Amino acid sequence: MELGALVVTQGQNVAEQTGSSAWPVLGRTVLDQWVERVQTLGVGTLSVVDREASASSRIRTMVDWAKGGVEQILLILLGSYAEVDFADLIRFHHQGQNQVTRVFDSLGPLGVSLLDRHTILKDPERNELLPTRHSSRYDFLGYSVRLSSPGAYRKLVEDALAGRCGIQPNGLEAGNNVWIHPSAHVDPSVRLEGSCYIGPYTRLNPGVVIGSGSSVEHNCDIDIGTSLERSSLLPDTYVAPGLHVRNSVVNGTRLENLDRNVSVDLGPLGLASRRKPLTRYSARTVALGKEIHEPCVTIPIKRRSADQTTLPN
Amino acid sequence: MTQNGPVVVKQLPESGTKQRRKEFLAEVRQLAHQSYRPQLIVDLPFKKIGPDTLDLLLSCVEQVEKSEGRVSVAGASPEAAVILELTQLTSVVHVFPSVSEAVGVDVSYPIDPLDQGDSPDMVA
Repeated sequence: MELGALVVTQGQNVAEQTGSSAWPVLGRTVLDQWVERVQTLGVGTLSVVDREASASSRIRTMVDWAKGGVEQILLILLGSYAEVDFADLIRFHHQGQNQVTRVFDSLGPLGVSLLDRHTILKDPERNELLPTRHSSRYDFLGYSVRLSSPGAYRKLVEDALAGRCGIQPNGLEAGNNVWIHPSAHVDPSVRLEGSCYIGPYTRLNPGVVIGSGSSVEHNCDIDIGTSLERSSLLPDTYVAPGLHVRNSVVNGTRLENLDRNVSVDLGPLGLASRRKPLTRYSARTVALGKEIHEPCVTIPIKRRSADQTTLPN
Repeated sequence: MTQNGPVVVKQLPESGTKQRRKEFLAEVRQLAHQSYRPQLIVDLPFKKIGPDTLDLLLSCVEQVEKSEGRVSVAGASPEAAVILELTQLTSVVHVFPSVSEAVGVDVSYPIDPLDQGDSPDMVA
């Protein structure tokens, strides 16, 4: 039975304001995590669509698939990370002979649905936006986090570092829960205290201290003597010397402080800046094998083994 | 035994007013020169702080420390408090939510063991 998967990403506006599924978690975005999870099912077709793109293009994609013989479509509206067992979901859907199955956790719907082709062809307009009628409920009891805030993003990072969820850091384990990507430059005087992650092409200068529960994503530069405590640096971020970043997420010049629940622009103070992104590296490149900038991209999927997710040179 | 000096509350001028900032620092310098262990409470009424403000605050600390005094910041917005913590200025200034909370709190430095035998009179 042929299966298609449609992943609808958060819109850019939402993504910039909240803990986004586009932000990498220990080297891989949540979108990557969902795509990899879908790939294990052996889906025939996968499409990644921006939520801000027109709804009609999403509907058209699903209808085209249904007309082309795709029996079931897995629809994922990104906004959470959840370790859903898709094989079990499909089994549940079959056993109940459901037209639509929606996945719930203890907080409500997770934005994951499995749709039958007949339902899509019968009433595509209504199905696209997750129908509430004629749907069955699949209760998911495993690990899930809604990426609705920087605090939720930090929870996911800390859970991943502590091994409380299935996210595997994109790097080598240099110590007990200390993960460093081989392309990172870490000065010998740097102190890595407890579980932390240092991403690809990141530079840690002399005297830097990375505290437990912290993550530094790709292409970051932390200047001399700065320390991180339960904080995350998002890709392409430079942080000035001598700072103490605590319980925060820094994205370019923007610092989100979780203790005080405020957002501060560090640019005018010269305390942080956005680095030029590396053209040779993107977290998405790892998972998908190609960049996705178009509003709707259909990617023929081949099964991938874990060792294919290595970095491009 | 230690003895705290006068408690003085001053409002920090906003970024950009160069002349006012100069005058402010001169007043702080005078305070530090004329008193021993003064407690300067700097009222920070504006939401955002710029690099000029940080410089001025550091200059205040520098001046007041010459008289073994202490600088406190009061009324800092959450944004300003984050910047103070980020730049580690909180290691040299106390931060209070309001002036009234800053007044009356003993913010004297922990006494260095080598100074314990000294009386204020001797130091002065």
